[in-house]
Amino acid sequence: MSGAARHIKEKRSLLPENGPVPNRRILVLDDEPAIGEAIRGMLSPQAPRSIRRSSRSVQEPVEIRAAEFDVTVVQTPAQAIDAVTFALREGRPYAVGFFDVMLGAEIDGIELVKQIFSVDDKMFAVFVTAYQDRTVDTIGGFLGEQNRERWDYINKPFTEGEILQKARNASSLWDLHRLKAWQEERLSEANRQLLFSERQNTVAAVGRSVAHEFGNLLTHIVGNAELALAQDQADNMRSSLELILRASDTAASILSRFRRLHDSDEAGPVHAEFNLCQVLDEALELLEFQFRKYYIRVEKPTDKQLMITGNRHAFVQVFVNLFLNSMHAMPDGGKLRIEFTTVEGAPEIHVRDSGVGIAKENLDRVTEALFTTKGKEGSGLGLAICKEIVEIEHGGELRIANYFEGGVEVIIRLRPVRKESA
Amino acid sequence: MINPADIPKIRAHLMTVLVVDDDEMIRSIIIKLLEPIGFAKFIEAGNGAEAHKYMLDPRVRVDLILCDWEMPKTDGLTFLRAVRALRHRTDTPFIMVTSQQSQERMKISQAKKHEVSAYVVKPFRGDTLRDKVFHVLYDAVVKKLIAA
Repeated sequence: MSGAARHIKEKRSLLPENGPVPNRRILVLDDEPAIGEAIRGMLSPQAPRSIRRSSRSVQEPVEIRAAEFDVTVVQTPAQAIDAVTFALREGRPYAVGFFDVMLGAEIDGIELVKQIFSVDDKMFAVFVTAYQDRTVDTIGGFLGEQNRERWDYINKPFTEGEILQKARNASSLWDLHRLKAWQEERLSEANRQLLFSERQNTVAAVGRSVAHEFGNLLTHIVGNAELALAQDQADNMRSSLELILRASDTAASILSRFRRLHDSDEAGPVHAEFNLCQVLDEALELLEFQFRKYYIRVEKPTDKQLMITGNRHAFVQVFVNLFLNSMHAMPDGGKLRIEFTTVEGAPEIHVRDSGVGIAKENLDRVTEALFTTKGKEGSGLGLAICKEIVEIEHGGELRIANYFEGGVEVIIRLRPVRKESA
Repeated sequence: MINPADIPKIRAHLMTVLVVDDDEMIRSIIIKLLEPIGFAKFIEAGNGAEAHKYMLDPRVRVDLILCDWEMPKTDGLTFLRAVRALRHRTDTPFIMVTSQQSQERMKISQAKKHEVSAYVVKPFRGDTLRDKVFHVLYDAVVKKLIAA
């Protein structure tokens, strides 16, 4: 493949299949019809020109001039605004407009472009003028900093090459802006999907634990119901029924906690004051079976209340993710210690495990998205999401380090709690 | 061919059942569901490791094992493998009790290799449990007859 051909191929790959379509629509405004038509002729010749092939140009891409631009020519500012508005409504906006400055109308070309920019916030403008009556700084000042990149300037008399090249550059810029916006949209959509799927992973991990607990609780209920049926003594029957009720209450409370974890996405982030101790208990209870299964002893703060402001569902997820990581680090059992402290008015959460710790070379990377040491079992998003929740959503700080006595310690520092005046 | 008349009756009252589950209430329910049909001797264990100790001792008679799959430390599958590795326990009927149906399905093929006799899915009804128990005990008796 020649250099030029490779270059073209790479450029093409920038435009994905369902990406924005290149826009070659051009509006020309000049109060002198002859000039407007002259520009049309340059941008959109009626018949293809014969292309002279020299031996040097054989490898160059073949240039097709005939169909390069779709040109509309108008004579008054009102027609121009109508054309732009109509094109937008039809979903076929203009990429570029060539505007005569001196129009012999109530407004000049520059004032008109300002109005057009307020109708179409994507179109590019090229001013065409015979007079040096306005400097580019005057025009720039008038159109404003926000439109700095959206206009260009050309003097009459102009050559065909100048008009053609301005049209090509400006329309390419229009395409690039659309492509960029499209890519950003795709990226943020992908990001949303990724976050959503990670939440689903958390929910699934908790779900497995909950499913097991439910199997057991239903066995309590079904088993005791059968035993109650077989009893002929009212007292024995009563004790079976009490056991059934107790198991049902436990099941209901597990279900409501699980629902809250699952539904929190739909409710959207709600920031309110909540008791962090309660949220911690919810997360611990959701994973209670797993802690038992892996022989993990949990030590939690003796505090009953630590009020903070934030998204309580997000904090349940932070705790669940951190605990799942700790559990993974302690396959043969160990200790999980959670502490709350306050440093200079800022609440701190310490989560420490007695697991294997993090290898030095990975320490800086563990909170990066998609980094995982768990192989297929890990999505590499758990800690990254915790960091995002703590730092971006709540303005706090999440640090992770190997604890000097072994294991890993995660420290979450939240924003200082504002004391309400009594 | 075995003549059905030759198959000895299952004498539940002489048998010892090992019930392994980390949930004490479930062990008690299993026992209470089996008592009315004649079973009288039970050994209880809270996890696979504890149950394994009984299995290691050849003097401990165990005619049937009912074991939960998901347990702390030593789970049901690990315990099953350990049981089958003991020469004097290779034929002991083993019923696996499980709660996470879909997830377990994957593991069941693994358990097949180690000859689990039957599965009971939580929550279970007393009749289902008793049916499975008699089924595996009957199979074990027939197997013994054929071997003899």
